[in-house]
Amino acid sequence: MVTLGTLSQGAALVFTLASMVLLLVGLMRNDLRWIRAGKRGLVAVAAFATLASIALAWLFLSDSFQVEYVASYSDRALPVFYKLTAFWAGQKGSLLFWAWVLAGFSALVVYNNRREPDSKVTAYVYLVLAGTLAFFLFLLTVVTNPFEVLGFTPPDGQGLNPMLQNPGMVFHPPTLFLGYIGFTVPFAYAVAAMVTGTTDAAWIRKTRAWNVLSWIFLTVGIILGGQWAYVELGWGGYWAWDPVENASFIPWLTSTAFIHTAIIQERRGIMRVWNMVLILLTFVLCIFGTYLVRSGVLQSVHDFGATGLGGYFLVFLGITLLGGLYLIAESYDEFRTPGTLESYLSRESTFLFNNVILLALAFATLFGTVFPLISEAVVGNKVTVGQPFFNQVNTPLFLVLLGITGVCPLIGWRKASPANLRKNFLRPAVGALVVGAVLVAAGIRQPYAWLAFTLAAFVAGTIVQEFVVAVAARSRLTGEASWNAALRLLWRLRRRYGGHLVHLGLVLIVVGIAGSSAYKLETQATLSRGESVEIGRYRLEYENFRIYDKFNRTVYAATLGVFAGDDRLGALDAERRYYINAKNPTTEVALRTTLREDLYVTMPGLARNGDITVKVAVNPLLVWIWIGGGLMVVGGVLAVIPARRKGRAS
Amino acid sequence: MGVLVVVAAVAFLIYRGISTTGAYYLTVAELKTSEVGRGLGAGEVVRVGGDVVPGTVTYDQRALVLEFSIRDPDEPDQVLVARYEGPKPDAFEPEIEVLLEGTFDRASNLFLAENLLVKCPSKYQSEEES
Repeated sequence: MVTLGTLSQGAALVFTLASMVLLLVGLMRNDLRWIRAGKRGLVAVAAFATLASIALAWLFLSDSFQVEYVASYSDRALPVFYKLTAFWAGQKGSLLFWAWVLAGFSALVVYNNRREPDSKVTAYVYLVLAGTLAFFLFLLTVVTNPFEVLGFTPPDGQGLNPMLQNPGMVFHPPTLFLGYIGFTVPFAYAVAAMVTGTTDAAWIRKTRAWNVLSWIFLTVGIILGGQWAYVELGWGGYWAWDPVENASFIPWLTSTAFIHTAIIQERRGIMRVWNMVLILLTFVLCIFGTYLVRSGVLQSVHDFGATGLGGYFLVFLGITLLGGLYLIAESYDEFRTPGTLESYLSRESTFLFNNVILLALAFATLFGTVFPLISEAVVGNKVTVGQPFFNQVNTPLFLVLLGITGVCPLIGWRKASPANLRKNFLRPAVGALVVGAVLVAAGIRQPYAWLAFTLAAFVAGTIVQEFVVAVAARSRLTGEASWNAALRLLWRLRRRYGGHLVHLGLVLIVVGIAGSSAYKLETQATLSRGESVEIGRYRLEYENFRIYDKFNRTVYAATLGVFAGDDRLGALDAERRYYINAKNPTTEVALRTTLREDLYVTMPGLARNGDITVKVAVNPLLVWIWIGGGLMVVGGVLAVIPARRKGRAS
Repeated sequence: MGVLVVVAAVAFLIYRGISTTGAYYLTVAELKTSEVGRGLGAGEVVRVGGDVVPGTVTYDQRALVLEFSIRDPDEPDQVLVARYEGPKPDAFEPEIEVLLEGTFDRASNLFLAENLLVKCPSKYQSEEES
């Protein structure tokens, strides 16, 4: 298996390089036969990368500890499921995963274009994909080979970090990777367009589709990461503005910006240069994020440590950035369009404003992330900024963004008329003011939280109003029952309503963030059996204590009865787990989730006499973050399902 | 025009953010001896990193008070005594690299950590925030 893996990996590199040569020759000679051969080469790369991945998975499943990577991230006691996910738990395997997915995506691009004649444009797309693949395969075969064997076979492996033995950690890295990797495809299309000087309807359709798809994966990855942190790390939060979290959030912002301006390009044929900039930025930021994780230049929770790969990523980053900027400068004259914004009150201008805010968020986040490096270079001292910085800077920007989200989809193109404004915004605005007044009466005085809830009401109002009016109109026209009309409308205009669902998801996320950060309750206490701790409307009573073995761990569990007044609502088990092969125990979070609030309990302390120390928190509305995230993903999926077209896949 | 307003607003937000929340990140040696370290105000928040010195850790399970010393990995004779009020992070142990955020009281030579982050060695592992 080791041989199979090494050989397949090597073959993938050879075929990638061959494919690049074929494509280059084809482009120089303008000969489609060479280009076709290069294209087939890419499909072969996907096959070899798949073989290599199967080999590594097999080595994990068969406990082949003579392989250094397997010995480092697995052991015999590890449940089979986590043996598979240990594949991407470390540096080497995650790189192989990366190469495999990129090869798969490349083959998918080839498949998508199967009905279209090969051309210079597609040849450049394949060339960029192959070039990126070559970089990753080079790292795998030459620098950091996952199939490297030890000189001996250890009796057992070192095991997987217990914190990674959690379902959230199973899907968080791969989905995030899928997002990162997916943005290679829009980038390839952008390069092809700039080199050949052509962007047409098909180009924007494909680029947009790949961008939305990657955006969906990135969104899922980010949300799962937050959820994993929340349920597994036990510090009570879901987002810490850690450098690597930021590294995933920044390209999310720029790709969100592109999704919006792509619509303008589609509709009006303008902003073509800007869109190229956004695509380039997104891709470069993805590579930059990877660089941050693997170089160890910043203190981060996700650090792989100094892996010696930083330099390679920096070189790749430099080439991509400089090459991209050069191409943008070169194609600038070709793609630029005269400024044609007729009015400030138009959808175009709100889209522009949305872009400005999104990029401002991206810039502020990036700036804060790399600020230690900047300050060290400039004044010689590392000055760091933490969560307060990001919250302070990004919260107002985010609220502005939320406000635009309400206006943007409903304002008229070109120039909005007063009638249009009145029709779409009067009722939601009045509704939001009423909500705002009620909130003040109910004691919501924290300014940001109040603004967030009120704006959320406004945005939700615009979306719901638009949909209700449209459903009523359709139902009148066709005579369908309203629920039927609603479903049909949702499906027929799925791009539009997919977008609205994403916005609604955003609204819910904002509500969840505002509620849980402004109105969080926290306390800690040390309890003997029978004692209670009170928080908000809850009382937690320490009822029972158990010790038992399960799979690869010994569990110390304290049962806490949850009471509200005299009602016993249920019980929570706060655990400390001692995993085989792990030096330290891990704290397992006990969680009671309702739509109104989460009750969050951890047990950081455990004394010999059976006393326990618990940390208890009430996080209001927090579950709406996950619900909103889910809605965002559903909306994104709905928006990316292609409109029916004869013989076309997009 | 509108863009300029936003750019100015963002620049202001970032400037204010850094001036109100930025903190020096120093080594133990720098905190104790460097000009920047000595020039810190009494209540000024600073971040400092180092390795936990074996034999110095005491943890009061009931009161949730963790006391320990850290030393500069490059200059091992530079040691800082720290006190952290809160639950001991799972991964906390002697020799491990930690990052403290808090204030340094030069008179009593004690670092009061508000945040304690543990850096796990070797693998793709997590620090924990407490």
